[in-house]
Amino acid sequence: MLKDVSGPQRTARMATLKGFGLGVLVVGLIGIVAFAVIRENVKPVEPKVEANASFVGGLSQHAHETMALSPEEESYATALWPIHSEVKLAAVRMIFAGLAYKTEDHDAKKLRAKVQPLTKTFEDAGIRVRKIKPPAALQEAHNTYVEAVKLYSSATREMIKVADDGKDEHLILAQQRSEQASLAILKLSDVLWPGEYKPN
Amino acid sequence: MKSSMKKALVAVGLAAAATLAAPVAQAQSYSVWLVENSRFMNVPYGAFMPDRVFVPGSTSKMNNINTVDLPVNVGVIKGTVNGKAEVILADAGWKQQDYLKMTGSDHYSAVVDQLKLLGISAGQVTKIIVGHGHWDHAGSLSDFPNAVLYIQKKELEGIEWAINYPHPRISATNVSPGGCARTPACGYPPKTLDEIYGKVLAGKAVIVDGEMEVMPGINIHPAHHAHTAGSQLIEVKTGTSVGTLVFGSDVYSSWQGIRDWMMANPQSSADTAQQFLAYEKCYKLTGGYNNCISGHEPTSYTAEYPITKNSWVGANGARLAEITLAPGESSKKK
Repeated sequence: MLKDVSGPQRTARMATLKGFGLGVLVVGLIGIVAFAVIRENVKPVEPKVEANASFVGGLSQHAHETMALSPEEESYATALWPIHSEVKLAAVRMIFAGLAYKTEDHDAKKLRAKVQPLTKTFEDAGIRVRKIKPPAALQEAHNTYVEAVKLYSSATREMIKVADDGKDEHLILAQQRSEQASLAILKLSDVLWPGEYKPN
Repeated sequence: MKSSMKKALVAVGLAAAATLAAPVAQAQSYSVWLVENSRFMNVPYGAFMPDRVFVPGSTSKMNNINTVDLPVNVGVIKGTVNGKAEVILADAGWKQQDYLKMTGSDHYSAVVDQLKLLGISAGQVTKIIVGHGHWDHAGSLSDFPNAVLYIQKKELEGIEWAINYPHPRISATNVSPGGCARTPACGYPPKTLDEIYGKVLAGKAVIVDGEMEVMPGINIHPAHHAHTAGSQLIEVKTGTSVGTLVFGSDVYSSWQGIRDWMMANPQSSADTAQQFLAYEKCYKLTGGYNNCISGHEPTSYTAEYPITKNSWVGANGARLAEITLAPGESSKKK
């Protein structure tokens, strides 16, 4: 309950209240700044590392980061895996078709015979990948995968042109596209299928 | 008589002049370093070397170590041959640190960065001889645009055989997410093979068929199926007090294995007998096991592996070792 006070008393009291309010404001601001500074400086928690006792391929099986894929993300990775396996194998076959052409037979017809079916493999893979609906968090990864498969497909079409004019520039262009796609899928596999490649 | 004596004297004089004018034959010598590209951490010892499997409670030094950290070693060989500066890499390491985190690697330092510590730029590397084509040994070829790649024909044939095998369980580059179950094509991601193919297309690849002299004192010896189908060894006659070295890549995954006659880093594409024959090759070429240079020896850069003990630590904890210096070469050890 407020008491009625005289003019000078009121002025003094108002000054006290203002001072108190200002103090609270300053302390509050300092608190906010301190909280922000502490929060910014605290190191993020490192991903949990756990040893995996099983040994699959390569020279070793050892500690690796635990991936925190949600059930939806896991489902997406599982659905993509068989397509990914086919894409990788087709990519390696495409590279070896080029290697054989350059280092062994120099036969452009043979090259075309090896590479032409791979165009269809990549195109079919692209269709199947697009049918899988990714969770929102993996939409970008999904788009990258679709683009990578398109790049591989485009690389095969470029390679085949050697059979028309015998120019190596088609192979060089195709290799650049293939390497770009290979890099993209390798980055994705680190997220979707941890441990896909072991040290060996 | 006088005339024939004169002729004889002239002939002797010419011969003497020719001898004096000829360049003084000098023994070829090379400086050699070993650099660490990264380290695979906490590898169960038994997975790397079955004879060294961890036995809880064991007091035997053979079986009382649970895990080991394995360096990814790259050899650096430098010399001047016929007036031309040569820098040769024995393996090229890898550069996928940003996206192959699952390998449990630490202390990553790109090979190009390690070379800088030796005063060598990427452009100065003239040759890369890969022990085999796995991603952690042939994974940074494109960082060295001037370098010519040397890879065994059998290595490429081995991969091609695997990927075209009629049964998908064998041709698979991976049989399940998170593992390749030792299929023969496992270990060769498309990215690494694209780098090898890139060298071929650039006209900077030599497909080696068996033995080969790369340059005076540097020879390739096949070690087929001693780790992969087309593994190879690199013999380096240093011309210095250390004598001959043999870089074994993953055929010599463990130097202790060569010393103790134990297999290491088993692969489906490898035959134990071939690995032991490759060990023997080092004994033959160098006179023992001390100069066999290993791709992943856990004691690398320490006194336990004497040839690599003259070491120091570079960026991100990745180590370097100065093995020998050719005359005129200054130490790079910090």
